Amino acid sequence: MIVKAIGWERSGPWVLGTLSFTLLVVLWEAAGRTGLAFTTVAPPPSQFLSMVVDSGFRVGLGSQASSLDEAILSTFGRVFAGMALAFAGALLTGTLIGLSRYATWCISPFLYVLAPIAPIAWIPLAIVVFGISNVTAVFIVFMGVYFILTIGTLAEIRRVPEEYLTVSGNLGASKWQRWVYVILPAILPGVFTLLRTNFIAAWMAVLVAEMVGMRDGLGAIIMMGRNLFNNELIMFGMLVIGISGFLVDRVLAFIGQRILWWRV
Amino acid sequence: MNSLNTVRRGAAAPTQVQPGPVFHLDHLTVNFPARKGVVPSPLQNLNLKIEAGRITTILGRSGCGKSTLLRALGGFIRPEDTGGVVYRQRFLTGPTPDIVMIFQENNLFPWLTVEGNVKFGLRFRQNDKRDQAQAVRDILASVDLKGAARQYPHELSGGMKQRTAIARALITRPAVLLLDEPFSALDISLKRHMHTLIRNLQEQTGTSMVMVTHDVEEAITVGDRVLVLGGDPAQILIDEDTISPGMRDRYSEEYLELQKKVENVIY
Repeated sequence: MIVKAIGWERSGPWVLGTLSFTLLVVLWEAAGRTGLAFTTVAPPPSQFLSMVVDSGFRVGLGSQASSLDEAILSTFGRVFAGMALAFAGALLTGTLIGLSRYATWCISPFLYVLAPIAPIAWIPLAIVVFGISNVTAVFIVFMGVYFILTIGTLAEIRRVPEEYLTVSGNLGASKWQRWVYVILPAILPGVFTLLRTNFIAAWMAVLVAEMVGMRDGLGAIIMMGRNLFNNELIMFGMLVIGISGFLVDRVLAFIGQRILWWRV
Repeated sequence: MNSLNTVRRGAAAPTQVQPGPVFHLDHLTVNFPARKGVVPSPLQNLNLKIEAGRITTILGRSGCGKSTLLRALGGFIRPEDTGGVVYRQRFLTGPTPDIVMIFQENNLFPWLTVEGNVKFGLRFRQNDKRDQAQAVRDILASVDLKGAARQYPHELSGGMKQRTAIARALITRPAVLLLDEPFSALDISLKRHMHTLIRNLQEQTGTSMVMVTHDVEEAITVGDRVLVLGGDPAQILIDEDTISPGMRDRYSEEYLELQKKVENVIY
């Protein structure tokens, strides 16, 4: 009925996507129940979900225990803060480089030398400087996204059609006005798409940071499960990470399609 | 060249058509900078006068230098110091709001509506907001786009896009409008519609226009004067007055005669 109402073209991906995902869960569950898989290593959904429900959605031991929504919120907060800062930073750096060639000469070496350093490699340094805190996690996310985004921003700026610049200059825009009213809107959708594709990198960076440093967040759930030999906790953590990541990607896709929709 | 007065950005736009030439190419030579030295363009020592208040069309094969010539007229490229473009008795040293250019594509900003694009023409000028809104309405009506004010460029046909670009250019009341193959991407019936429109707008506003095209019909029916550029270094091969009404009729004898003459030179 729903399929008929909104058409197969639009409903198809959802219907088939849900079906194939359900099939995976069913197979996994069946493998667990029939003894085909080691339930101690890969406990089926019914097992680890009931465990989490039984514990009242609280993860951890004693005073270190935190509720699941706190874990999700702190991970989201870190990843969004880091990505927002990286987005703003990339645009700012792009502006500096776009407006002044002296800035280009000064900044470029840093960009290309620091970009290849994996965000994980910054963790020890960050912990020493910022301690075990949210700042460390945000910093790691920032380092994981900022450089790639800045290099992408520069590429987007080079792609702005010559005509736009001529037209705006011709209509009397100053260098600064041209930046604000022409180049910035021209590159925003492209840079945002890059941000979306780099969300996975940011997501991984924050999880790693939480695994090795933080005491809370989704990454910490996995580590806690490992330390407690609790595979149900590990499975549950992985599931939550996957679903949260999926939801965030949908939100970013929505922003890309509805708010920054134009293509240059 | 330094001793001469130069046209500066922000110079007051003349509202009345002044008689005499609007452009005077005085030994115009354009070379493009390259890694080693320069790459010469076909424009070497070119002399030409272009009158004000008319449509001048420039025809020529690709690579003949016609687009380069147009960019030089707009002040977008810097010619060699041995000569240059004289605009209203002054050497042109850079773009000026007096002279506005329209391209074949990428004229419009995709993130702005038709109205927003047209208003963009006034954004960097001092004027009253209410006057602005009225001016936008008037100009959109004159290019027959009143109903499309809230649409975005990707929702427009090619002809509507170019009409928006023309509206944005004309709302600034420029003294000169430069058109670089503006209708090349349009189909033939839309093209002819645009030809009538551009002639009407020219008559209403008195704007001097220079249009570069490779379409012979377009050049003759739109232009008050047709120039054919060719050879290397480029020369004016044909220079014809096409102001007579017969030139607007594609079946008249004088039109066909000139078409034949031009095609013999170009093809």
